[in-house]
Amino acid sequence: MDILFSPQLLFSALVLGALYALIALGLNLVYGTMRLLNIAHGDLVMIGAYAAFWLFTLTGISPLIGLPVIAVLTAGVGVALYSVLFRGQLEGTQSVAQLEANSLLLFFGISVVLQNVMALAFTASPRAYRHLDDVYHVAGVAMTGNRVATLLIAVLVLAGVVIFLKSTIYGLAVTALIQSRDAAKVVGINVSQVQVGSFALGFGVAGIAGALISMAEQISPFMGFPFTIAAFVVIILGGLGNIAGGIIAGVLLGFIEIYAVALTSATYRSILLYGIFVGVLLIRPQGLFGKTRGG
Amino acid sequence: MSAILQARELVSGYGDVRILHAVDLSVAEGGITAVLGSNGAGKTTLFRTLAGLLAAGAGHIEFCGSPIETLPSHVRVERGVVLVPEGRLVFPDMSVEENLRIGSVNARARSKCSKTLSTVYDLFPRLDERRSQAAGTLSGGEQQMLALGRGLMALPKVLLLDEPTLGLAPTMAKQIFEIIPNLVELGLSILIAEQDVHRTLQCAQFGYVLENGKVAVSGTGPELMQTPAVSEAFLGH
Repeated sequence: MDILFSPQLLFSALVLGALYALIALGLNLVYGTMRLLNIAHGDLVMIGAYAAFWLFTLTGISPLIGLPVIAVLTAGVGVALYSVLFRGQLEGTQSVAQLEANSLLLFFGISVVLQNVMALAFTASPRAYRHLDDVYHVAGVAMTGNRVATLLIAVLVLAGVVIFLKSTIYGLAVTALIQSRDAAKVVGINVSQVQVGSFALGFGVAGIAGALISMAEQISPFMGFPFTIAAFVVIILGGLGNIAGGIIAGVLLGFIEIYAVALTSATYRSILLYGIFVGVLLIRPQGLFGKTRGG
Repeated sequence: MSAILQARELVSGYGDVRILHAVDLSVAEGGITAVLGSNGAGKTTLFRTLAGLLAAGAGHIEFCGSPIETLPSHVRVERGVVLVPEGRLVFPDMSVEENLRIGSVNARARSKCSKTLSTVYDLFPRLDERRSQAAGTLSGGEQQMLALGRGLMALPKVLLLDEPTLGLAPTMAKQIFEIIPNLVELGLSILIAEQDVHRTLQCAQFGYVLENGKVAVSGTGPELMQTPAVSEAFLGH
């Protein structure tokens, strides 16, 4: 049981939890504001990872320096998808159930296309690069520079988004749209502007997460799906559309995964993830901090 | 008095279901205009269409002399056409103050947000006391005040009040009716839909009676009080 008190494990859990929270944030924004189920969300993480990989391999520029460019790139993918595919869906579809179903199918198609285009362009074989992998020992924890950077940046981005949502009028507009589309229109929120903004913000943050992940893990065109599943677990745990709940749930899932794997074996990792997914849906489908929301 | 907001042969509804059939109506500038009608007469449909939440199937809406029927709702709010919807529609998980602040999201009102906020708090001291409380935990009457206050935050020129006293305790309904003349003094024009015919016609200068999505009769308060159509429209209610 000593293992449970290891600061090494605590550090790993924090890093993974922060990444999960970061990835789930975008999924939650897009679902919360538009009721679109983005099953391709993990593939944006993959695109961010590839962008970081090529940036570093071709130019030697650190992904940390390139983060804004990578975020803009994936945000751009979001804006393009919104404009071409989802604006029409959102305007033409009356019921939420139909919107959810249509978006699930559309995003499934997008996911397949993105994965295969990337595999075609850059082969399906896993890639990796070495960056900031010097090991530091602090208080008995061995940590690589890239993991420390990942934790710091993830926390900064999460804090930045929360402050943005809480204290600016634009952020308040996002929160308002999540709570009630009808009321958002009543108060004069430019709904389509908030929608495209949510796509950009959510996808941009996913790109950042991908770039961070690429510094420490192998990347491949098919790396996204497990992150999609993890992100869905997180937003269901935290309550669909509940941004703060999602962040807490992301960290929680990171801890559950790291500690459970430490206590058992890495082979149980995906069983664990899907197990929690199904378990939460069965026992508490509204999430741990979920609230019932109006239309 | 000239008309600030005007509907001409306005047609609207949900999908293929037509609810408003060629409604003509004007809201006098600086006055209170009433829309009366029983449940299902089309009052809420009319208000939602004027605010741009529902697309007009045909006909025209003019605001300050220019057509607005094709403008999206947020542009109408920015111009000054603001709805206080039936059922309040406050943001339940946001605080009272956040609800008010988001009311001034439009570009015209945004820069004056803090100033308007203190005006609204003066008008509704109860909201000031509860500014950090979640809106969903307020009583029905307080939520109605919040919805009204939120509407005022948008710096409206025309305020569309859809059944502001629906489901409220009588004392609370009385308070709401006491506030409405104050709003006119602030320079607003008001269109109000209500079930309480007597009280509404006491404060409104002009009224329309909607029946099955059409204007059945219109006239000044005292005129309408005496028309059989008014008493008929509300018989059995």
